[in-house]
Amino acid sequence: MKIGIYFCNCGSNIADKISYTAVVEAAPSFPEQTYVKTVNFICSEEGRQQFEESLRMEQPDRVVVAACSPRDHEATFRGCLTNAGINSYLMQMVNIREQIAWVTEDPTVATEKAISAIRGAVYRVRLQQPLERKQLEICPDVLVIGAGPAGMKAALSFAEAGRAVVLIERTPFLGGLPVRFEDLFPSMECAPCMLEPLMGDLLHGDYPGSIELITMSELVELTGFYGNFNAKIKQNPRHVSLHKCIGCGECVAVCPAITHNEFNFSTNDRKAIDFAFAGVLPNAPFLIEDACLRSNGGNCRACKDACPLGQDVVNLEEAETVVERKIGAIVVATGARLYDASRIDGLGMGRLPDVYDSLQFERMLSSTGPTGGVIKTAAGLVPASVAIIHCVGSLDEDHVPYCSGICCQYAFKFNHLITSKLMNATITHYHRELVVPGKEAFHLFNNAVKDDNSCLKRYSDINDLTVTPDEKGRLIVRAKGDAAPADIVILCPAVIPAEGADKLSVLLDVARDSSGFFRELHGRIDAAQSTIKGVYLAGACQEPMDIRTAMLEGMASVGYTLAALQPGRIIEIEPINAEVDDTRCAGCHLCISVCSYRAISFDIEHNVSNVNAVLCHGCGTCVTACPAGAITGHHFTNEQIIAEMEGNLK
Amino acid sequence: MKDTVRFEPKIIGFLCHWCSYAGADKAGGIQGSYPHNVKIIRLMCSGRVDPLFVLSAFEKGADGVIILACHHGDCHYKEGNCRALQRHSMLSLMLAQLGIEKERCRLDYVSAGEGEKFKRLISEMVESVSILGALQLNL
Repeated sequence: MKIGIYFCNCGSNIADKISYTAVVEAAPSFPEQTYVKTVNFICSEEGRQQFEESLRMEQPDRVVVAACSPRDHEATFRGCLTNAGINSYLMQMVNIREQIAWVTEDPTVATEKAISAIRGAVYRVRLQQPLERKQLEICPDVLVIGAGPAGMKAALSFAEAGRAVVLIERTPFLGGLPVRFEDLFPSMECAPCMLEPLMGDLLHGDYPGSIELITMSELVELTGFYGNFNAKIKQNPRHVSLHKCIGCGECVAVCPAITHNEFNFSTNDRKAIDFAFAGVLPNAPFLIEDACLRSNGGNCRACKDACPLGQDVVNLEEAETVVERKIGAIVVATGARLYDASRIDGLGMGRLPDVYDSLQFERMLSSTGPTGGVIKTAAGLVPASVAIIHCVGSLDEDHVPYCSGICCQYAFKFNHLITSKLMNATITHYHRELVVPGKEAFHLFNNAVKDDNSCLKRYSDINDLTVTPDEKGRLIVRAKGDAAPADIVILCPAVIPAEGADKLSVLLDVARDSSGFFRELHGRIDAAQSTIKGVYLAGACQEPMDIRTAMLEGMASVGYTLAALQPGRIIEIEPINAEVDDTRCAGCHLCISVCSYRAISFDIEHNVSNVNAVLCHGCGTCVTACPAGAITGHHFTNEQIIAEMEGNLK
Repeated sequence: MKDTVRFEPKIIGFLCHWCSYAGADKAGGIQGSYPHNVKIIRLMCSGRVDPLFVLSAFEKGADGVIILACHHGDCHYKEGNCRALQRHSMLSLMLAQLGIEKERCRLDYVSAGEGEKFKRLISEMVESVSILGALQLNL
């Protein structure tokens, strides 16, 4: 075997401390047939040319480059090997600059140390094997889970980029939580005016790509990996054909069954077959099976018979279906919900009719809500006083430890809307902390501070606050020696992950943090990527956030996906990864338990573990964990590492 | 005269590519020397450090081994450094049974920015192994 050793002087950086001639003199003591050449500034254009020419002429079997840190130029020199027709994994770098020349006082000692390190590299490189990057075709289509701001933005942008998108949504409608709002902080923009064009585009927009919207659906199974996922999606029956229904509402008018309206958080009732709200998109009603008279053995078919478009629009017998879609990447945008404020008993949530959480109050403010946008008590009276309690369950070890960051802003939005709807009402904000970040939020805050009828009171422990009715039934908010009446109490609970996040994280194999939000690959540099390759995160499924941030996150997830998942592009798989030797694997599963990337699966039929090279990051933890020594860490094999030590210690 | 010649131990350093190896590069970047005794072996992750590598290092003539990982929470591979810690704890028990002082196999943490800490750890390691003297294996 012929090993070429290339020594970079790096001007005086290396040459001042390490003697090239001493390396040349030491080379005959190295194993194998070696030659040593020096190139000044081997990373420079000229240096690389010299290096490549020499490689072509000498045709070495292995190459050692003694120069700077491989963190700087390993890729550069690998490229040179490739250009010279030599497999790029047949090279080993020795860091004689940063880790020897620059840090060793005595040139003799530095030279000795460099010779040892080069000997180590020679020992190692002769065991290195040529490795090939495997290639894999990919599917450029994308699955977006959740049709709130982040998911809608992502789906639209994918369609604009010409991609086929499957957009699945758990509820019967588009828009997520904000579709319930009338006005938005910080600018008091009209929410429907902002969302409806987006939703219209999603349903009927003219884009190079396509959007397949599947409402009332959820992911039930995911197999495959980045570039080649197979998703099974369960669609619950709407009992109304989205393709045929024109949204005239004749079926709703005749429905005799009444149930709670969950869209308004059960603050009013709806028909068993009904629209979620007036103006909902897609513009079609849906039937709640449990509320329908037929669920109790009845044979009502009033809705079906009332449909002016015929008998095949309402399908009372419709059952759930499962559809399969092939996709290359997934954007998770499942959003968030509110912490259950009834868990803080003293606040009366769920017990006292005039205590509302913020989402219920958003519906009261909405012209499509239960009161048509009129603020009134459960008894129908105009409130003279309103209490807004911030930080409900937030920054609290007994509930959720974090600040949700958006509640103060909507609380001051409420302040603005209440003062404009009820001229004389007094408003008291009970807050633990105040958070109004950014360049716009202070406007609403200032409005509240300057308003004569509004005041702020700080509390330190939510348990010091109680909401109780007095003898006349009027609510009194008590806070450590202070008592003030409030005809309506609005609670601003912590924002927590949406229902089902736990189940979805298992299906996707994506990790969650201690608060239950999906965990980012890196909180700052890769905050829209999950821990699993090809699964991206957008919106409040990651952490509490406002609409602006959710939309941006939606775009970020698109950016990540489009950058990686190009139609016709082949995925190149880094060959520095792990591989299981079937004949030695004992089937103990230990490797699976230490892999952070779920890259190892178990083949039950053959009782062996399999590493998926696409998902493997090449850390080598499983290689070390395997008690049978059945896993090879390519390019970092036991033999190579031990040989490098041995050469170094000689 | 012979008594004043300092014992120069041979030490193997297993460094992870992402943090501690970068920290060692950083130490080079800020110049200033540190003891030459540690021979650095770069691995992708400290989770790759097999206790057998440590035993093999001792067998092949090393007087000490230092494993430098990313700080907890910073591992490029999420929890490889936790595995390194677990294996190091286990290995320490085994080394004690073999009569090898625990100071000869040390685990510590160096971030990509901690060039000074890297220099300090190397100096400490060399100092403590120098005091112990050459490793006598009685296998």
